[in-house]
Amino acid sequence: MFTKILKKTMEMVVTIFIATIIIFVLIRLSPRDPVKIVMGNPEIAMTNTKEYDIRYEKMSEELNLDKSIPFQYISWIKRVLKFDFGKSIYTGRPVADEIKERIPATLLLAIPSMILQCILGISLGVISAVRHEKFTDQVIRFISVFFSSVPAFALGLMLLYYFGVHLKYYEVSNVANLSRLWLPVIVLGVISSPSLIRVVRTNMLQEFGRDYISFGIARGLSKGDILKNAIKNIALPIITILALSFVSLLSGAVVIESIFTWPGMGRYAMESILLNDYPVTQAYALFMTIMIVIINFFVDIIYTYANPKVKM
Amino acid sequence: MQIRKLKCEGGDKMQRNKSLSLIIGIILITSIIVLVAFANVFAPYDPIEQVPENRLMSFSSKHIFGTDQYGRDIFSRVLFGGRTTLTTSLSALILTVILGLFLGMVSGYYGGLIDALLMRIVDVMMAFPFMVLALIVTSLFGISFLNLLITVVVIGWVPFARLTRSIVIDAKENTNVQASEILGAKSWRIMIEELLPQVISPVLVMATFELGKLMLSISALSFFGLGAKPPSPEWGSMLSDGKTFFFQAPYIIVGPTLAIILSVLSLNLIGEGLRDLMDPYEIPKLEDCPKRRLLG
Repeated sequence: MFTKILKKTMEMVVTIFIATIIIFVLIRLSPRDPVKIVMGNPEIAMTNTKEYDIRYEKMSEELNLDKSIPFQYISWIKRVLKFDFGKSIYTGRPVADEIKERIPATLLLAIPSMILQCILGISLGVISAVRHEKFTDQVIRFISVFFSSVPAFALGLMLLYYFGVHLKYYEVSNVANLSRLWLPVIVLGVISSPSLIRVVRTNMLQEFGRDYISFGIARGLSKGDILKNAIKNIALPIITILALSFVSLLSGAVVIESIFTWPGMGRYAMESILLNDYPVTQAYALFMTIMIVIINFFVDIIYTYANPKVKM
Repeated sequence: MQIRKLKCEGGDKMQRNKSLSLIIGIILITSIIVLVAFANVFAPYDPIEQVPENRLMSFSSKHIFGTDQYGRDIFSRVLFGGRTTLTTSLSALILTVILGLFLGMVSGYYGGLIDALLMRIVDVMMAFPFMVLALIVTSLFGISFLNLLITVVVIGWVPFARLTRSIVIDAKENTNVQASEILGAKSWRIMIEELLPQVISPVLVMATFELGKLMLSISALSFFGLGAKPPSPEWGSMLSDGKTFFFQAPYIIVGPTLAIILSVLSLNLIGEGLRDLMDPYEIPKLEDCPKRRLLG
């Protein structure tokens, strides 16, 4: 067990290392000149050329752009390890602070959405499996296929229009509070549940074929008890899907946060892209990547813990 | 086992339901393709000509989906726009599948160092959610439709490579492959003649689902103005244009949204139907049938 965790940790470090290289290379490949982005174009800045050139040189030196690529990478990593992602070009504040402020809002949205996804996914999945090939099953299957075909932004916009503009029941503003939570949570929960419904249904059907179910029926256990046992046995695939959807809730929240003007990380990243605020985008990408690698790591650990046979 | 399965009560009904979703999906996508391909026949108006006096009209018998801010008929624009949307998504998907098939096959067949290296890359790629990578690429390289498609291909090959690799690793042990090896066939020939046929149908199922997902992601990015605006109408860019007027005239986004939903829905239905027909794990075994009845 311990050696497995150690091995996984090593793999995680390697993955994060490669991911940082990819992000760094992407940044360096970008045709944009970071110095010009920070200082503004000479035409726009309207300074005399000589002075601009001197300042340009100085700035390049400050940003280590005149050094070799490996040196630049190492100094970038050093700063990243100290949570120094540079300053936002737009607001001039440290990016780390700005992101830190927005994490609670994103989590406030992501966690209830995941709970809703769980409730919808597991209950509908179980019902669908129990009523296999019956009318209820067909309806649930069609609904889940349908909602996996609807773009999240379209559902979000329609609900926002109906409740916000038409009924005036939903407050259209840009604060993160509990009264504004329910609508985006519904959208995220509904959009992310089809994958869970599917997994629960398929795995439940497979469980129903096992001997302990027949044994339970023979012993005269109630339907509820039998189902409870079956659900316990399909916990692993459910955990996997939930972990994956937590990741996609964090990253996919970009869309929903932007539509509901929810002050979380996703909307911040989206705004920075439209404003060309590239330090923010990079920090966001790096942050998300590391989060995902860590979540995957924990899923693997849970897997080994629950089932020691799993090869790692 | 195969024969006994058919005797299972409800088996015929099951089969019928499965092909039903396949049939509905195929009918839907065929009608969409026909409508879009012959847009010049079906579209009632010119998709580009601006008619200022007709701007922002709601649904009517003249304009099924209403008109946009320049008075253009949205239905006609959806039909013409479908050409760009469908062809670009499909070509991106084809590139993705080819790349994934190639890498997965090489990785699974040769194994060793190539395999280890590719799988590490796969791990890293899986750590980048599509949305995040698309955002960083557009922020660094500028907003353009081409950049968006490159991102799609760069990130999209991963699931295909994983699937192909796992099938190839299993199929490598089959007698037909080993016979070819003994007969001295070249490895590329084994891959194309013996391994490709086994890989192709699961990949096809995955491709239908992935095409749907891809259209959804592209439309989301286009909606936020990250897909750029091609000169001809395109579903994503229509949404992006429409969102400025959304609260004033909400029906402006209904047309393109409906087009996206129907296309993705038909792809998902086809995928679902194909998967049920092909995937043996999805069909419960004979022994399950009486138990399921007890539970149901």
